Formats: sequence, C-alpha cells, structure tokens
Amino acid sequence: MSRFRDLLMVAWTGLTARKVRTFLIMLGPIVGVAAMVGAVGLTESAKGDLKQKLSQLGTNLIIAQAGGTFGSQNPTFPSDAVQRVEAIPTVTSAAGTTNLSSVIAIPTEGGSDYYQAFPVPVRASDLNLPAVLEVPLLDGRWLSSADNALHTPSVVLGAGLARQYGYLRGEARTIRLNTTNFGVVGVLGPVALDPDLDNAVFITQWSAQHIFATDGKPNQLYVRAKPGTTQAAADAIPTAINLGGPDQVTTKVPSDVLQAASQADKTLQQTALFAGLLALSVGGLGIANVMSISVIQRSSEIGIRRAVGHSRSKIGAQFLLESLFVGILGGMLGAALGVGIVYLVSALANWVVVIDYTRIPLWMSLALVVSVMAGLYPSAKAARLEPLETLRLG
Amino acid sequence: MSTEAPPNAPGAGARHDDALLELDNVSRVYGEEIEVYALREVSLQIFPGDFMSIVGPSGSGKSTMLGLLGVLDLPTSGTIRIAGHDVSALDDATRSRLRGDSIGFVFQQFHLIPHLTALGNVETALLYRDLRPRERRERAYAALAELGLGSRADHRPVQMSGGEQQRVALARAIVTDPLMILADEPTGALDSANAAHVLEIFRGLESPERAVVMVTHDTTVASTARRKVSMRDGRIVADERLAGTPE
Repeated sequence: MSRFRDLLMVAWTGLTARKVRTFLIMLGPIVGVAAMVGAVGLTESAKGDLKQKLSQLGTNLIIAQAGGTFGSQNPTFPSDAVQRVEAIPTVTSAAGTTNLSSVIAIPTEGGSDYYQAFPVPVRASDLNLPAVLEVPLLDGRWLSSADNALHTPSVVLGAGLARQYGYLRGEARTIRLNTTNFGVVGVLGPVALDPDLDNAVFITQWSAQHIFATDGKPNQLYVRAKPGTTQAAADAIPTAINLGGPDQVTTKVPSDVLQAASQADKTLQQTALFAGLLALSVGGLGIANVMSISVIQRSSEIGIRRAVGHSRSKIGAQFLLESLFVGILGGMLGAALGVGIVYLVSALANWVVVIDYTRIPLWMSLALVVSVMAGLYPSAKAARLEPLETLRLG
Repeated sequence: MSTEAPPNAPGAGARHDDALLELDNVSRVYGEEIEVYALREVSLQIFPGDFMSIVGPSGSGKSTMLGLLGVLDLPTSGTIRIAGHDVSALDDATRSRLRGDSIGFVFQQFHLIPHLTALGNVETALLYRDLRPRERRERAYAALAELGLGSRADHRPVQMSGGEQQRVALARAIVTDPLMILADEPTGALDSANAAHVLEIFRGLESPERAVVMVTHDTTVASTARRKVSMRDGRIVADERLAGTPE
C-alpha cells in the first residue's frame, strides 16, 4: 500500500510542478463537463419556475365536470357524487362545487350595471374545497360548518376577485348576491391549477339551496388521487359517478398542461449536451497530445527514475495516474464551473435554478474515463522509453 | 586491507563466486542489417572493495560498458551476473529492483529531476521500498548532510552550483547503500576545484563491502583509482592494479 502511496505522491508532484501546463491539460475535461452541466442546467432552469410551481401543486389533482344529460341545460352530478368518487380506492379526497349561473354578485352599488353585464361566477362549495385544492387562504377564513348550521350569509372571494374589488385584509365588506347581502369572511389563495376559481365568489351549499333554491347537486368535482395513480383515478371517476347511466362526465388533469409546458427544450438540450461531449473528446485528444510531448520533455526524468530502480510499470503507472488526476480534478472543476454558470445565468435571467445533481457524477466519470484513455498511449510510451537513450552517457 | 595479497586483484578467476558483478564473454551489438560491435566478448569481474576506473578513447565501448554494468541495457550475447543473478533472465520489475538495490549512479550531467528539491531528488531513490515518508525523508536528509548539503535540502537543482548538484547526485547514489557506485565522467562538467572535491568524496566512498567504478577519459580521475581497466575498440586491452592512491 505504501508503494501505491509513493506512486500517488510522485504523480501528484509531477502535476503540481508544472501548474500552467497541468491546468491547460485540465481545460479539456473542465470545459467538457461544464458544458454538459451547463447545457442541461440552463435548459431546465429556463423552465424552472414552471417546474417549481408544478412540484408545489402536485400532479394528482383531477377536475371532473358534468357533461350534457339529455334535456338538461345545466348538467349536474348526482347529489352523492362526492361520496361515490371518494369510494374509489385511489382517491384520497374530493370536493364538489355548483355553478349558480342565475346569481349575480354586486360588490358595489355604483358598479351594479357593469357587474350585471359581466357577471362574476358564483359557486356553492363543499367545506373541504381548499383542503382538496391544497390552497391556503390569503385572508380570513373559509366557509365553515357553522355557516351551514347558523345559516350565516358568508362569502369567500377568489384571489383575483379580491384584488379587483380592492378588498383590504380584514376589511368588513358586504356584497350583494341578487337581493341578499353577504359578508366577506375570507379570501382564497390563487388556484394555479384552476384559475377560474380565482375569479369566483364562494358560498355555502346551505345558502345556495335555501336562498337561491338550487337542488344542491354539484356540477364540478375536485379530486385528489394517491400519488402515481392519477390517470387510473381519472379513468375510474366517470364510472363511479354515473354507474353506467347516461350522465356524462369529463375529467381532466390540469397539471398535464403545466407539465408539458415545463418540459425543457429537449432538442436544444441534446445539442448542447452533444457539444459538451465533443468538447470532452477534443479535450481527451489534447491530453493525449500534451502528455505525449510531456513524456519526451521528461525523458531525462524517466531515465533517472529507471536508473534508481523504478520499473517500467511504475513509470507507466506514474503517467497514467497523472492523467487520472487530471480527469478527477478537471471533472470536479468542470462540474463546479457548470453549476456556477447555471446559477449566474439564472440570476441574470431571473430563472429558478434547476440542477439535477444525480447526473453530474456520470459526466464526471465520463471525463475521468476520457482522461485515462487519453493517458494510455503517453503512459505506454513513457514505460517503453529506454533509459540508456535518455541519459546520454559517456 | 592486506597489502601483499590484494583481495580485489584483477583477473582473480578463482574468486569467481565473490564477484559483485561479472561479465562473462559479453558482446553488445547494435543495428540489425549492419551489425556494429560496441562490445566484443568482454569478460570482467568487479569485487567488493574495488575502486576502479574504466578508461578509453571515444568509441572504445565505455558507454556501452556503463549501460551493461548498470543493468540499463542487456547484452546481445554472454552473461552478466549481479550478486549471482543472471540479469538477462530477470523480468523488468525484478531487474529494476536489483538495479535500485545494487547500483548507485552518478552521471556527468548530474541528471537531477528539475522540479524536485535536493531532498526530493535523493528521496526518488528510496521510493517504492515500503518506507514511511518520514523515514524516507530522514534517510535522504542524512545522505545530504553527510555530503555537507544539509542546508541545501530545500533547494532545487537550478538554485545550486554544479559541484553542489553533483553532490546531490552522489547523495542519491549512496542513500540506498548500494553494492556498487557507478559513475560516468563524474567530474566532466565541473571546474577543477569542484572536481577535486567530488573526487575526494569518491575516495571517501571506498569501502571493503562496496565497489566504486568510474568510467572516464580523464587521466586525473583514472589515476585516483586503485584498479584501471583500459578499453579500445570494444575490448578490454588492459586491467591493471595501480600502486596506490595519489595524494
């Protein structure tokens, strides 16, 4: 083992004795690995904000909408649709909402005409909607069982609507739904997966049934599936709801669109990756080239080492180890440089940094393999060198 | 050392087994189509305690002889034995090991590794010997100190004079305590003062266990030795014992 340590020491001293040349040799793996890390990192980071949003929202939300039943203008689900969907094993939770198309919300008397012309959607909602959406409240509270029990005329505003109304945090605000005044109790946070909700007014199912005389049947369900089973759950929902009946159910997974949008430009990425590979292999040629010259320049050193008893294989190993060090250090420096570039460019371009660190070791070992392969020929040449010819005796 | 029967007398064939290094009918031929005999059927024995010079004009085969004695080269025919081992029969690793253990080289051009310090150069001879770094460093330093270069241990070859560089090379040669010191024109690149100093060191290296061999064309160096082997046209033309070491 101590012989191997001696070998490491000799190779290391050989490299550090010629720092500039060593650095120049290292540029190959450095540029190659940096290019590959940068290529993937930059193309991913360009879509980093979408990816980040996606990972926050999750990809397991399903929206189910009632399709046209025969002879029905406003199709609805059966009133127990939520329970039926929740019975699906791959579903973790579900909440229903009902669109109240006949209800018009008037936030201010002055804006009455405008809001009658451009009505704001009003939705009767189950109490667990924010929990299913996994969206927090921006202000106040959500509709509660107490609202149902006490028949309080409470509304919650969507985030966009609250901004449009100029609603202040904690403000006591009344808005009129048809002829009834409702008190604003809270503001729902932005729902990225269904931005329609940002612009809606939410009331309790009790209010919908008793003030606006609806039948309490939902026409839209928000369903959370167990991770990884989203598509299976989405496929099971229509059957669970209509039980083979004529009711039509359309389901969509809203994150799919976002997911597609968040995909990095694969062509660009592969092109850049290929350029990195090219840089690495050219770097390998550079290593082979410079090290071959180095062997000639160091022939006297090789002769001396042979004279003091170092064997051919030790000399070969010494040079091979030098190229191994070049590969390891170059790969590490290249990875650091690549990560640095991704952070720098992302900071300048206002991107969210996305770096897949699990792939970096692969590229680093690629640099290592290229360096060692490049070192094979010069090492063999060094080992074959005849000491007698290099020492210039007599 | 006895004076009437020198143990290292040349041509002592009966003492065959005691020879440190033995050339038996050795030829070295260069070239394939046109064969050039650099060395022709040479036999030579070197014994412990020998303090010898190998002399001859250019082209006499001195350098070839040096390469063969140093096991840097192998004979075309004939046998070379070091401490009884036929060097042609050994693989490179064993032969390299034998060379490192048995022979200490000193070259005309010093041949120090430029990027290493004096200490590092001496340590080079102690690598791959299962020594701890600390022990290796101490032994190398001791060899340098022995030659009066203790204070120069951290200097690189370019920072030293020719005489100092040659002393570093000498320290590298003796640090392994070899059976034979093999010197190639050790004073060839030195001025007379430094040359005299280096020769004095060589005289100090003489010991009953060790052989010192200097290949030279310098008569001053040659006359320092106790045994003088003369070469011409690839053959040994004389192998004589000199009366004594000149003052």
